[in-house]
Amino acid sequence: MGKVLIIDLAICNGCHNCQVACKDEHVANDWSPIAKPQPDTGQFWNKVINLERGTVPKVQVTYHHSICQHCEDAPCVEACNAHAIYRRPDGIVIIDPEKCRGNQLCLEACPYENVIYFNDDLNIAQKCTFCAHLLDQGWTETRCSDACPTGAFTFGDEDHPQIKEKLAGAELLKPELSTRPRVYYLNLPKKWIAGAVYDSEVDECTQGAVVTATNKETGEKVSTTTDSYGDFWLRDLPDGTYTIRIEKEGYLAQKLGPVDATQKDQNLGDITLWKG
Amino acid sequence: MREETDPTYDPGKERSVVIGMGFCANALPGNAAVTDVRDGKIVRIRPLPYDWKYDPEQFNPWEMTARGKSFKPLLKSTLPPYSIGYKKRVYSPNRVRYPLKRVDWDPNGERNPQNRGSSKFERISWDEALDIIVSEIKRVHDTYGPYAILCQGDGHGEDKIVHASHGCNTRLLERMGGYTYQIRNTDSWEGWWWGAKHAWGMEPLGQMSPLNNVMLDMAENTDLILFWGCDPETTPWPWEAQTASRLCYWFSELGIKQTYVCPDANYGTVVHGDQWIPVKPNTDAALQLAIAYQWFKNGTYDKKYLENHAHGVDSFEAYVMGEEDGVPKTPEWASPITGVPTRIIKTLADEWASKRVSIAHSNGGGFIRGPYATEPARLEVLLLAMQGLGKPGVHQVKMFEWGWLGPRLFFDLERTAMPRGLAIPTVGAAYRGFSFLPWNLRFPKQILPKTLVPDAILSPPLKWYSTTMLYMPREDQFKEYVYPVEGCSEIRMVWTDSPSWITCWNCGNRFIEAMRHPSIEFMLAQHPWLENDCLFADIVLPVSTKFELSDIGTGVGSGEYDTIFTEEKCIEPLGESKSDYEIVLMIAERFGLLEEITEGKSVEEWIKYGYDTSGVQDLVSWEELHEKGYFVVPTDEKWKDYPRGLQEFHEDPEGHPLTTPTGKIEFYATGLAENFPDDEERPPVPHYIPHGVSHQESLSHPRAKKYPLLVMSNHPRWSVHSQHEDITWLREIETCKVKGPDGYQYHPLWINAKDAGERGIRKGDIVKLFNDRGGVLCGAYITERIMPGVVGIDHGAKYDPIVPGELDRGGAENTICPSKTTSKNAFGHAVSGFLAQVEKVDLDELHAQYPEAFARPFHPDAGPYIESFLA
Repeated sequence: MGKVLIIDLAICNGCHNCQVACKDEHVANDWSPIAKPQPDTGQFWNKVINLERGTVPKVQVTYHHSICQHCEDAPCVEACNAHAIYRRPDGIVIIDPEKCRGNQLCLEACPYENVIYFNDDLNIAQKCTFCAHLLDQGWTETRCSDACPTGAFTFGDEDHPQIKEKLAGAELLKPELSTRPRVYYLNLPKKWIAGAVYDSEVDECTQGAVVTATNKETGEKVSTTTDSYGDFWLRDLPDGTYTIRIEKEGYLAQKLGPVDATQKDQNLGDITLWKG
Repeated sequence: MREETDPTYDPGKERSVVIGMGFCANALPGNAAVTDVRDGKIVRIRPLPYDWKYDPEQFNPWEMTARGKSFKPLLKSTLPPYSIGYKKRVYSPNRVRYPLKRVDWDPNGERNPQNRGSSKFERISWDEALDIIVSEIKRVHDTYGPYAILCQGDGHGEDKIVHASHGCNTRLLERMGGYTYQIRNTDSWEGWWWGAKHAWGMEPLGQMSPLNNVMLDMAENTDLILFWGCDPETTPWPWEAQTASRLCYWFSELGIKQTYVCPDANYGTVVHGDQWIPVKPNTDAALQLAIAYQWFKNGTYDKKYLENHAHGVDSFEAYVMGEEDGVPKTPEWASPITGVPTRIIKTLADEWASKRVSIAHSNGGGFIRGPYATEPARLEVLLLAMQGLGKPGVHQVKMFEWGWLGPRLFFDLERTAMPRGLAIPTVGAAYRGFSFLPWNLRFPKQILPKTLVPDAILSPPLKWYSTTMLYMPREDQFKEYVYPVEGCSEIRMVWTDSPSWITCWNCGNRFIEAMRHPSIEFMLAQHPWLENDCLFADIVLPVSTKFELSDIGTGVGSGEYDTIFTEEKCIEPLGESKSDYEIVLMIAERFGLLEEITEGKSVEEWIKYGYDTSGVQDLVSWEELHEKGYFVVPTDEKWKDYPRGLQEFHEDPEGHPLTTPTGKIEFYATGLAENFPDDEERPPVPHYIPHGVSHQESLSHPRAKKYPLLVMSNHPRWSVHSQHEDITWLREIETCKVKGPDGYQYHPLWINAKDAGERGIRKGDIVKLFNDRGGVLCGAYITERIMPGVVGIDHGAKYDPIVPGELDRGGAENTICPSKTTSKNAFGHAVSGFLAQVEKVDLDELHAQYPEAFARPFHPDAGPYIESFLA
């Protein structure tokens, strides 16, 4: 039965237990024939990436995770001319540390970032094994999922009803590729545009203003209403450039933009509305 | 170890040992974990699955439900990363493996105290070390008397019970006629202890108690939680790990708004916060007063509640409205002080008055550890009272230490906040360190608050109020103490098993000055790692980590289930290391006092004694505990029935009075008025105090011209105070260290792009954080997670002197914290919210200026290590 890992970024608190547990398992421990030891530092078979978003006072951090995707159609398997990379019946892709000749073709072939590392001392390529050596001993978790305190990591059989339920809403990294990964993500970050609307004449927060973002390319509109602090968050925006319109009865409508939300989230800061 | 008793034992086969991976020490253990061991080495450290050897039905799993959603505890412990990565601490290149002596300290000749921290160490034998120690103790006793020895035997460390991380030395010295004891202070909650107690009692901590079912009540009734200077993603980790995080996610699911009020977008803010209101460090009191002003002005507070539950509201109202000093504490007044826009203050006041609001804390943070921290602590109590404290949804809640430190008991079911078990296991009676169990407190004749140790050494005599011991009642704060006590000597020798003065306390540089003072003829340290104060010792003894010993422990307060476990020895002691207990026994033996310290019991017998007195000995047999290695305390079936928080006080204040003199919430603190009527730094009515006799750390003080930034410092995310600094797997995390161009991992300083830009500082630059008390080098971490005008730094970084007492490479910012205590009659430390400046440094220039310091070897991934300081 195929194994899958589902990572829910919405409930990852960034504790790095997964990254550290992976090191605890694989540094200085030799799990041949599944894996040889990982170097102490600088390489991460499960890497947490700290994405700081926004500006004061609208700041969030999303912790993304780079890990071998254990693809059904793994480009690394094809690329390896030493035939050192194989897929187990449970779908786990393994670089055989005995067969690897250090040709590094897999590093070039892998379309995902921070996944395969080259161990200079051992002259082999290395990566996540889904802790196959533990599964073979009867474990039902990987070290990263076992160490996760919030349930952000779910590991299991793809046919298990609870896993299937989660998979229904899951996304893939680089879905445009036909690699068919076994790592799924929930709540991959989508851009947001935020700000705070106020009436500068009376220095009051403006509640109930309607803020509309219009995507310049598609014309698609998203709206929200400011809260008692005048705050608005337009969330889950597709990457793009937007114009913003802020309206409230008794005030002149305010137009802002273009706001570039292709690369990063945007805090528009404090925005004044003038009485009409 | 099992092979000693089990002939079938196979060392090549993995065995699993339940072990506590909490780092509080002091018989307050937590973080139950499993260690897998093979061939005499630690293979891995992982969460304890509670259902490993028990059917969940045996511990009666609980479930909280509210608003149609449920919360179930995980069936495993939720460890922090430094527990999981602790193997690297055990096998650290910085382990002390044999006794060390400072090369230019000669007990029979020149002692060179001025070279402590500069001169290096050489290996000596245990025999030589013990000979020196015994002869020095005799000499000091004969020359000055027993009180000349100061025991620094408290603070945090590995959770060990029989092998007692801290204060075992006091047991020996007590039997040799006495010693001077450094008191276990109220660090991390000093504002509550020295301030809030005068508003609402709440012994012993000054934080709200009881806490029964507060989480359930908040889930059902609270609309808004203010995380005021609170980081639930950092401070709960060291001994209670991460259930607080799961609760915060659940509260979000329930639609409970979570607002963070703090200078930094801390680790909780950025994942749980619906709103961040940045406030300048140590100006919270001004913000609180402006909120009170709005409520008085608009009548948006619970007047009726105050009539029955409060004392002295008029005096407070007079101060707030400006009748006392001519300054109404309006939002317009508070805005420039706090950096919070007037309109935000007004909206917050209105929102709070119209919703059911609780305030969350988890110790530490920028709110409670600054100069005059008594004031915001008391003001918070008054604000909660103005909105009906104790009614459904209105609480002060602590995000960890559930069940810890109750009014009468070390562990108290009334303080659980989460669904409670049938009992809280405690093995404190087997603790061989200094016992600060409330029923067992034995102070020597001469004591010193930790915060006053430098003053005691550098400028005696001293006078102060209160023992400062965390378990002492409010009234103790009115009692005067002196040093030296008549007939007792001043300090001539320091014996420390907790060598972290420099990195964790008020003005570490002044501690350094004290340690180098000629009056300190001998400084003895025992520690597993050569770090921090060890660098200033004359003899350093090697201590084993808990993996190298057999012991007993508990996992208490995780919020899931409490556990008790016997901790089997996992590996052989590294080098020639011994436990703190074993070291004291070796010295005791030479004085003919071995039996007095062991009380005739072997380690195994003390472990059994721990079980016998644990409070759960009727729930699990010794045989079962020993065989399974752990026991999970079942949930009390009646857990939902206990009154919620201060519900009883709310409903019947006469029948359930507080422990204040009036039994009510004191807006005018009668105890302070009676004992310190003229104390402008802690007046009967809480005030906003920007600066005063004790501290000049405000932007409104002229010092700010030279030092225009406020330093916000919390307990560290990636270590526990000064522990864990050499775990390489943590040091490579982006927010843990910043690698400099010279390959050295510098401690990160959070600085906003605006402040960095003004100083020409770019990402990764090496900068100096400094004020008139010294400087520390840091790596610039440019971030929007800190408000402009403020820099953020985690305390506890490993000290690495460039010029001891002046300039540090490691980033130990406590070296430049204020040296004065909370205020003139309150003796906590003030370690956040102080003035400093930041400038970019030229590393080449520094290397040239201090060639010796920069030539010291360092481990590229673990930082300064033993080779750095060996001759």
